Amino acid sequence: MTVFNFDRQPATPTMPAPPRADQIEIRVNADAAWLPSLRVVAADLATRADFDLDEVADLRMAVDQACAELVSAADSGAVLVCRFAMDRDRITVTATVPVSGPTAIPRDTFGWRVLTTLVDEVEVLDGADPSQGAGCMLCLRLGMLRQAAPR
Amino acid sequence: MTTEHHAEAAASGGSRRAEPNGYDELMSLFEEFAGLDENDTRRAVLRQRLVEGYLPVAQHIARRFAQRGEPLDDLEQVATLGLIGAIDRFEPTRGVDFLSYAVPTITGEVRRHFRDHGWGVRVPRRLKDLHLRLRTAMSQLSQQLGRAPTATELAGHLQLPREEIVEGLEVANAYRGTSLERLTDEESSGGFADVVGEADTELDRVEYREALQPLLSRLPERERTIIKLRFFGNMTQTQIADRVGISQMHVSRLLSQTLATLRDGLSRE
Repeated sequence: MTVFNFDRQPATPTMPAPPRADQIEIRVNADAAWLPSLRVVAADLATRADFDLDEVADLRMAVDQACAELVSAADSGAVLVCRFAMDRDRITVTATVPVSGPTAIPRDTFGWRVLTTLVDEVEVLDGADPSQGAGCMLCLRLGMLRQAAPR
Repeated sequence: MTTEHHAEAAASGGSRRAEPNGYDELMSLFEEFAGLDENDTRRAVLRQRLVEGYLPVAQHIARRFAQRGEPLDDLEQVATLGLIGAIDRFEPTRGVDFLSYAVPTITGEVRRHFRDHGWGVRVPRRLKDLHLRLRTAMSQLSQQLGRAPTATELAGHLQLPREEIVEGLEVANAYRGTSLERLTDEESSGGFADVVGEADTELDRVEYREALQPLLSRLPERERTIIKLRFFGNMTQTQIADRVGISQMHVSRLLSQTLATLRDGLSRE
């Protein structure tokens, strides 16, 4: 697992340029074995950003669910990229895997119900990614908005 | 070679070549045992001899898990139950030797005991105490605020550094057991039939109900209730905790575990 903490480390030439501070990007093999690490990071970031503990637990489960769906759709040997962006009043999690062709995430499943119940915003982004050359990327973006007053 | 060494060889791999003669003799007992009719009175005698014969293996595995905060007596008992289960289910005709089958079975049983009854990892006393204080504070603050507290609110309430609170909350997630819950949680009896009813109505409306319903019906009642209240009854974990009479942390853990179970079940459909 490589963890890029854009906030604290200066970018080296091999790293993609960080769009903003307050972002953490994790790259893992698209394998369910990495789900526990991803959800621990999600919970830790939300706790430290002072989301209330219901929101922390919900985000933890949502990241687990979203990444599990992506892992099962991913090409074999693919890399799952999970990016966490912290803003004043929200955490945005963007998880992306390469897929062999255009892949839809059905909305009439229990998994979708789980995602949309746990976080405030769920977005599916799919299509070709020009930066990756040919091939399709499947991406789930989750947005959790803060209910409690920020510290 | 002492019995202790037999168990050592068994626990570290259990290949047929490493098996001493004593276990070979037990293997022939196994063939007789497995060939007997369910109601044959000789089965009980043979079973007893097999359990006694392999007991050092179970004891050895139990000792490997000692020093983790659970009494050795309990671990030996769990390991012995695992052994008995392995003896009952073992099929000598499959061509696998008993120890290769029994060692992982017994080890799994002991691990499950830790998962269900103890701390999954060895946690310092200080953090266990903090865990209990956190849970009490969460319950009090939830009452006051009408929602779950944040780490900063907990720090203010307990007058502890925020970093210590974050650490304590991480411990809560590392801790997979339920013995603390059994100490402090008292399940309320009923009283939430009305909300479950509403959740059921909502569940009836969804398209994937047919795939989900049989999986839900296989869950323990409490887990099923929690899933319905969270995903079809629009209640937060803190509200569910209040309703069901267990802590929010416990609700959170049950929800995560149950979601994983449902996900596995649905992907196999």
